[in-house]
Amino acid sequence: MVREFKLPDVGEGVAEGEIVSWLVEAGDPVEEDQPVAEVETDKAVVDVPSPVNGTVAELRAEEGEVVPVGDVIIVFTVEGEEQQQKSDTESEDSDPTDSAETDTDTSSRVFAAPSARRLARELGVDISAVDGSGPGGRISGSDVRAHAEGSDPEPANNTAEPSEATDVEPVTEDVSDTTTPRSVPSSSADREQTLAAPATRKLAKEHEIDINTVPTDEEHDGQPFVTPEQVRSFAETQQAAQQADARAMQTAGPSEREERIPYRGIRRTIGKQMERSKYTAPHVTHHDEVDVTELVETRSDLKQVAEEQGVSLTYMPFVMKAVVAGLKEFPYLNSSLDETSDEIILKNYYNIGVGVATDAGLMVPVVDDVDRKGLLQIASEMNERVLKARERSITREEMQGGTFTITNFGAVGGEYATPIINYPETAILGLGEIKEKPRVVDGEVVPRKVMTLSLSIDHRVIDGAIAGQFANTVKRYLNNPSLLLLE
Amino acid sequence: MVVGDIATGTDVVVIGGGPAGYTAAIRAAQLDLDVTLVEKDAYGGTCLNHGCIPSKALVTASSLAHDASTAEEMGIHAGIDVDLKGMVSWKDNIVEQLTSGVEKLCKANGINLVEGKATFADENKVRIVHDGEGQGSESIEFEHAIIATGSHPIEIPGFEFDSEHILSSRDALALESVPESLVVIGAGYIGMELSTVFAKLGTDVTVVEMLEDALPTYESDVARVVKQRAEELGVEFHFEESAQEWEPSGDGITVRTESEDTINEYGAEMALVAVGRAPVTDTLNLESAGIETDKKGFIPTDDRTRTNVDHVYAVGDVAGEPMLAHTGMKEGHVASEVIAGEPAAFDYPAVPAAVFTDPEIGTVGLTESEAEAEGFEPVVGQMPMRASGRALTLNESDGFVRIVADGPSGFVLGAQIVGPEASELIAELGLAIEMGATLEDVATTIHTHPTLSEAVMEAAANASGSAIHTLNR
Repeated sequence: MVREFKLPDVGEGVAEGEIVSWLVEAGDPVEEDQPVAEVETDKAVVDVPSPVNGTVAELRAEEGEVVPVGDVIIVFTVEGEEQQQKSDTESEDSDPTDSAETDTDTSSRVFAAPSARRLARELGVDISAVDGSGPGGRISGSDVRAHAEGSDPEPANNTAEPSEATDVEPVTEDVSDTTTPRSVPSSSADREQTLAAPATRKLAKEHEIDINTVPTDEEHDGQPFVTPEQVRSFAETQQAAQQADARAMQTAGPSEREERIPYRGIRRTIGKQMERSKYTAPHVTHHDEVDVTELVETRSDLKQVAEEQGVSLTYMPFVMKAVVAGLKEFPYLNSSLDETSDEIILKNYYNIGVGVATDAGLMVPVVDDVDRKGLLQIASEMNERVLKARERSITREEMQGGTFTITNFGAVGGEYATPIINYPETAILGLGEIKEKPRVVDGEVVPRKVMTLSLSIDHRVIDGAIAGQFANTVKRYLNNPSLLLLE
Repeated sequence: MVVGDIATGTDVVVIGGGPAGYTAAIRAAQLDLDVTLVEKDAYGGTCLNHGCIPSKALVTASSLAHDASTAEEMGIHAGIDVDLKGMVSWKDNIVEQLTSGVEKLCKANGINLVEGKATFADENKVRIVHDGEGQGSESIEFEHAIIATGSHPIEIPGFEFDSEHILSSRDALALESVPESLVVIGAGYIGMELSTVFAKLGTDVTVVEMLEDALPTYESDVARVVKQRAEELGVEFHFEESAQEWEPSGDGITVRTESEDTINEYGAEMALVAVGRAPVTDTLNLESAGIETDKKGFIPTDDRTRTNVDHVYAVGDVAGEPMLAHTGMKEGHVASEVIAGEPAAFDYPAVPAAVFTDPEIGTVGLTESEAEAEGFEPVVGQMPMRASGRALTLNESDGFVRIVADGPSGFVLGAQIVGPEASELIAELGLAIEMGATLEDVATTIHTHPTLSEAVMEAAANASGSAIHTLNR
């Protein structure tokens, strides 16, 4: 018997995943729970296990392909049961899907306008295999096109008008370069006024050309004059240039002046998170500095002790403890705003996230119940999770449930920043680099170790005064680490 | 080669100049193919000459006569005098205008028009026999053929059409005076339309139907509205009776019918036989081209309108149910586009149909039970015409609009409308189905007030319990 296996929801609320690599090939025997693929979702790479004992009949996705949850990614033949033939294009499935889409597996009817059905025939697409993006799964022309481009990069009969944007929208790193490239041949003109016969103007309109841009050396009564031939040849050059642009966009390789990096997986997840946070929560950032001269000494003393126990002790556990002390005093910084019920949820537990820069991008492993753990335990748990994040073996669970986040941008240098809150949390503390600076102590200028703090808050929930008071508490603990003994 | 035969060549030969054939011919010509259209009788086929168009002319005229004479309620008192000859001649003018229009369009599109009867000589040649002695014949060699020969009224044994006592629908549309009385055999859409026409013109109409209800292909609550109105007009129905024989009696005839246990006789001036239509395929000599037909004589085709012979296509009534002019026209389009290498197919999820009774019926897509059978979970919304302000001001408030949709997705799957202008109202729902519109799309689109089309909007809203002018179930 044939078993189709759909990409499961490998994490809470994940909509899609990228097949990083296949661990099996068609023909391979597999056992239940044996990993068959590595799938990258949000912030983790997850092994997808086989649901059955059997043989891999077919891989339905390429490595690097982004697959929506609920799509069939692999087909197994289950041993000991009779073989059943299924056609390649078959997308029917009697299992009720649990995806959000209403997938009426009831009838073979396809809901698509006649124009979309015709386009499918033109592009050689089996329309019943196309995922519809419209209401109820209605299939539009762009859905058909996207499907054709996904499965068949060069449709045999690509005479269609300039195609709409496909499902992959390239995003360049360079912000100044987000406009759509338009080819303007260097030979185009730019006049205020042009003489031309009405028929010529009509021709220019048909070709969507501004007649003032058509190059000409002819004149009538001293005014530039354009002929239909000139419009036509200009249109052809324009078109050729546009096509060349389009080709270049499609085939841009590393040798070109620009490189296009797919914006997907972890990078896109980070982007979406940041976007959501920034556009949802009005951010305010409170900056301050703290004299950590004593903390530096305390830490170097304890570092030895920790190393004997096989734990590397950084400043972060101290900061975490100081932060928890502040959070206990100012609970609104350890909360989240539930917009649907219009309630602020104050959390009586203290799970602190730590921002970690990895090769794949920013990740935030969480250390749970920091208030109930000692410095060494916090240090060893945090080190373990940071390592896992860097190796990309961290699980989703180990990055969820945070109530407050600390980000150490000072690790690469810098004094102040404006950290973006790890939504739906309401505050984030950024740490600058600890530097020796001249400071005034008892009227004398002396060298002191100074750490800068940048605290961003969600101004919907927290006012600046509270943020300032919280920062002061954190400062007090960092300035005088012996207070941490009381925590 | 027959002596005197002239052979010419063409890209596409179209046999039959009805809606399917002339549409195919014009579309093929538009696509730069050399087209020859063969017509044995009159351009426009049954539809323009003896079917849709003339019957609709008489439906309109008879309704006008009837409404004018029964408008006392509106304070209108009129004495009506119907001159059927005048009415028919008005109808003939319309037919003439349309058929000559078709001929002009064909000529203007550069189509070679050939008049005569076509038979297949082999799979690349048809012979055309011209009407009349000594007119000779010619052969046409073709790359592709489109068969569009249409259908003809079915005769029943013992009731051969004679244009005097026993009429086909074609004869009935050409009468010169209003018959005193008429027996109509068959209560399908043609029988019901013509019964209504003659009843409104003052004829005593008796309908004999073998099955147990009028309009048996429609849902019973749809048919009931039409049957009740016909009875109000004086039409007498006899169901589950089959016509056996007839004999002349006095100035008219007596028709004998049999039911399960009785023999009945109905006297009338004449009888109209309207029991359906059969394809015109037996004259084509199809076997010499290897073209297959089914048991009923229809030519089976695929979704590209292709027959079993790759370069031969069949469109319109001859290609089977539904025998509707608008289906034929679309099939004609498809055939020519396929021949020209375009990506065309007849892949319509729904074909609308209309019956021009009083009130009219318009249907498209699936009924509730058909939707269930196809595996949908149908929801139904309904709006009675008596709740429509416009229907009341038209003095036509019988009937309803019903919309069938898929519950989970909301997609509109079908509609049944019985009421004034149902034939026009159904178009909106045909579009809705084609476009994959949902109930919400139809219900939230603003419809003009006060119009009948609001009833469509309200029926869609009713399906989700939000109709304003009718109680929600």
